[in-house]
Amino acid sequence: MNAPLRQVPEGAVAVALTVNGRPVAAQVEPRTHLADFVREDLNLTGTHLGCEHGVCGACTVLLDGEPARACLAFAATCGGACVTTIEGLDGDEVAGELRAAFNREHALQCGFCTPGMLVSARDLVLRLPEADERRVRLGLSGNLCRCTGYVGIVRAVMSVIADRRARGIAPQDGAARALGPVGAHAGDGVGEGKAVSAPPTAAALPPVAVEVVEDFIPAHTFAQSFSLAQPPDAVFAAFADVRAVAACLPGAFVEAEPAPGTVAGGLKVQIGPVAATFRGQARITRDPATRTGRIVGAGADVGGRSSTQGEVRYRVRPGQDPGSAVVELTVGYTLKGPLAQFGRPGLVRDIAGRLTALFAANLEARLAGAPAPAAAPPLNPFALALGALAARLARWRARLTGG
Amino acid sequence: MKPAPFALERPRTTADALAFLAAGGRVMAGGQSLGPMLNLRLAAPGRVVDVSAADLRTAAREGETLVLGACVTHADIEDGRIAQAAGPVLAALLARVAGGIAYRAVRNRGTIGGSLCHADPAADWVNALSALDASVEIATPSGSRRLPLGDFLTGALATALGPDELLAAVRIPQPAATAGFGYVKHCRKVGEFAHAIGAALIDPARGAARLVMGALERPPLLIADARALFGGAVDADFAARFDPEPADAALQAAGIADPVSRHVHVEVLRRAVMQAAGLQAGRAAA
Ligand SMILES: Cc1cc2nc3c(=O)[nH]c(=O)nc-3n(C[C@H](O)[C@H](O)[C@H](O)COP(=O)(O)OP(=O)(O)OC[C@H]3O[C@@H](n4cnc5c(N)ncnc54)[C@H](O)[C@@H]3O)c2cc1C
Ligand code: FES
Ligand code: FES
Repeated sequence: MNAPLRQVPEGAVAVALTVNGRPVAAQVEPRTHLADFVREDLNLTGTHLGCEHGVCGACTVLLDGEPARACLAFAATCGGACVTTIEGLDGDEVAGELRAAFNREHALQCGFCTPGMLVSARDLVLRLPEADERRVRLGLSGNLCRCTGYVGIVRAVMSVIADRRARGIAPQDGAARALGPVGAHAGDGVGEGKAVSAPPTAAALPPVAVEVVEDFIPAHTFAQSFSLAQPPDAVFAAFADVRAVAACLPGAFVEAEPAPGTVAGGLKVQIGPVAATFRGQARITRDPATRTGRIVGAGADVGGRSSTQGEVRYRVRPGQDPGSAVVELTVGYTLKGPLAQFGRPGLVRDIAGRLTALFAANLEARLAGAPAPAAAPPLNPFALALGALAARLARWRARLTGG
Repeated sequence: MKPAPFALERPRTTADALAFLAAGGRVMAGGQSLGPMLNLRLAAPGRVVDVSAADLRTAAREGETLVLGACVTHADIEDGRIAQAAGPVLAALLARVAGGIAYRAVRNRGTIGGSLCHADPAADWVNALSALDASVEIATPSGSRRLPLGDFLTGALATALGPDELLAAVRIPQPAATAGFGYVKHCRKVGEFAHAIGAALIDPARGAARLVMGALERPPLLIADARALFGGAVDADFAARFDPEPADAALQAAGIADPVSRHVHVEVLRRAVMQAAGLQAGRAAA
């Protein structure tokens, strides 16, 4: 009688599903993943959470009888599904044989990986035609165990497969399954037939404070260049107008020019599902004699979790055709905070390449007298943009690959 | 770890999904790429439109073309549940690619459409389907349009898809009966994204070779007419005449400056070519 009363959170939706053979009806927030739902709402704590991005396998449960990551399925999308957690496998024949074999072969030490390991192992026992060590190891590659070294686990799984095949139990081929993601059923009511409501908008956040450090050694550098059908002097002159140049970079905005040669602004980026706004400051120096310039800036994302420093050095030189110019850019950036440990410079180059091409096209149009593009902005663009993108992309990618 | 709050819609039909998208929202299919980004709060959409239970779970055949609904999963392809529509040859080579993606628990929910829309340069369908000359069918508010995969994939993690559009289906032409297919994925750990991908569709009977080098942090590098890599002509003993130089030059032209990286990509391509020639059983997709 001591169970805490659970408040129905704002924005919760109704979901009805079957968990370990019992019907469950609940109110869940759409953002609650299945592992949190079974652990927190149903007190089924046998489902473990390690990475929460699909890599470690600790959260693996059965969805409609097939293994799935409980950390990557949202409970509200599992209406009508049959969920089986490790607690629901107590009376399962294959799981029983595996438990005995795990015990015999010392296939666990701390046990953290074991619930997910058993769910994946059970799937292999059902599907693999024979006890082939290579296929067993491949099949277990999505379940990380930091204790055992896998030898006992592999042996245990192989022994159960061999035993069952020797008893004449044939492997399953899944031919009868319906197409599509396991656990996804139409007709559970969520969001169906409702009037389309406006999605909630994120509240505006205050600007972030960053400090521009003139002297830093960038961790990553790369070069880009583009040509314009405009004389070098005109191009170099255009670079002096911060707002105009910023207007050529998609997503960039200038908020203020607090002092000569200093600009405050930011960049909105949207890459796939990643949408972020980075804000910061930059200092700009120019040398007309050599038609070179340097923009050095620092920025942080609005959530303040990551910060970056960057610099862009540019040089405008005559192009091959008379009256044309080539702009050479050298971009350097460094990341600080939790994101700094990951890096994937190639991806940044691809994105930088596309931004540069758009920037060049807009700049060309502007120099040729065309009206400014509808939306765009700041000069420090590349420093802010690239550092930010690098950080975010590299981070989730590195996490995804477990690298 | 909790994603930022979002509203959820679960349309049953493509038309309903488009109506939700018109008012703003991010599509979710299997959630195997979007889920991690939500959990890590790299993505924080106000609304998620979950299409996993919509009418995109289909496999059909139109003439010589296999048409897979966007929500067909990697496991569906791995297990051959599309074999009737695909025919045995195409079903087998797609199954080989599918089986090498991630892990079974991910393959049971991750979809072919989600993989293409996510457009990770190192993703398996992005590269394998480029070699197979696939195209995509996009549902738009005003109807539908088709794009060759090469036009759909506009950059690393970027596609030609508008925010109010949905990938409806993937169209994969039946390879010629005389063609060989090779697919080699190079990675350090089984089930992870590749560090280099080579894919080859080679038909000596027609003298045609279509080669792809992938996982280059940019869209797949497609050599649609690869005769130059075989001394100018593709014939019965093409494998013996594979010339790495033009492949290396193509990588250099694409801005891959690191010679070690180029070497790895060319070697992985060579192995795919050997596989297409039937010379190397090779672990296609791990
Ligand atoms: C641990 C792990 C390892 C992995 N390893 C690999 C690997 O080795 N190789 C590989 O190729 N992949 C790998 N993946 C990714 C996996 O293949 C995903 O299934 C796939 O990238 C996305 O498919 P999804 O259905 O889950 O899409 P989701 O995650 O639901 O969506 C991905 C993106 O596509 C958009 N989208 C999805 N469907 C549509 C649609 N029909 N129309 C418009 N937009 C849409 C979404 O808005 C989102 O931006 C791995 C994933 C994990 C978690
Ligand atoms: S917690 Fe789900 S895979 Fe790691
Ligand atoms: S037993 Fe400790 S992680 Fe596997």
